Amino acid sequence: MPSDLRILPDINRLIHEPARLALAAILSVVESADFLYLQRETGLTKGNLSSHLAKLEEAGYVAIEKTYRGRIPLTLVRLTDAGTAAYRAYRSRFKKFLEKTG
Amino acid sequence: MVDIEKIEKRTVQSFYDDGLPEISLGLIFLLLGGYFFAQTTAAERSALSSALSVLFVLVIVSAGFLASRILRFLKRRITYPRTGYVAFKKKEPSSKRRAATMIVGGIIGAATAALYGLSPSFKVLFPALNGLLLAVAVLLIAGKIGLARFYILSAASAVIGLAVTAAGVGDIKGISLYYGLFGAAVTLSGLATLIVYLRKSPRADRENTDAV
Repeated sequence: MPSDLRILPDINRLIHEPARLALAAILSVVESADFLYLQRETGLTKGNLSSHLAKLEEAGYVAIEKTYRGRIPLTLVRLTDAGTAAYRAYRSRFKKFLEKTG
Repeated sequence: MVDIEKIEKRTVQSFYDDGLPEISLGLIFLLLGGYFFAQTTAAERSALSSALSVLFVLVIVSAGFLASRILRFLKRRITYPRTGYVAFKKKEPSSKRRAATMIVGGIIGAATAALYGLSPSFKVLFPALNGLLLAVAVLLIAGKIGLARFYILSAASAVIGLAVTAAGVGDIKGISLYYGLFGAAVTLSGLATLIVYLRKSPRADRENTDAV
């Protein structure tokens, strides 16, 4: 394998998936966001968003808190410390890879 | 391929989608304009003039506090039901950044005081100086978030400041006019953005959008 591509097997595939990567990128900038915000920003359907968030939650990358604002249900999502570390590692690895391959 | 940097930048930009931050910032500038205007109406060395000088810090702090309260209230009522709730990270400025800000502030303050000491007529340039300093500050914000209207506001600040000085309105009256005009420009920019936002973003049906 060419040396440039050697970092590829180390790429976190859970985050590498485009929809989940977009979610991680958004959540890396914010403290927390609700389901509606994430749906609007990513353009994902309700079902798709739920499924990707469930996968990220299963990996311990996001924490999902169900709450209420008045009588309105509110699902708050935030990146956990493990999620932040995984996203940062992915980001720097992928950036290095892109720099090497031009 | 997903452009991570673009997504991160877009997320930061989303805070300004509704125009509410500009409206609250514009209101602070209008309040400052009102404050300086009150100073021009107060007779020199009068009790009101002294009280206004002492109250300056209080005016700035309470304007900032009030604006952030208004912003939070409006976000809750207007933005969250339409485009969802988001809380941004509160970044503590690094010690390097804090030191740099203090040094730059100190240099500007010392230079202004020195120039004023050399020639008291220098104060006629205060509106232009205010305009240029705020233009740089808005330009830095514009560069960070990448929204075109902030570049326009930056240019507007410089133009208003220079125009008020060129018109020879005077120092305090000129500063009052500068803050009034720039505050109005920022508020109008926010209102125009809010109108577009309200047209594009109807209230979401929460019952059907909230799930995991």
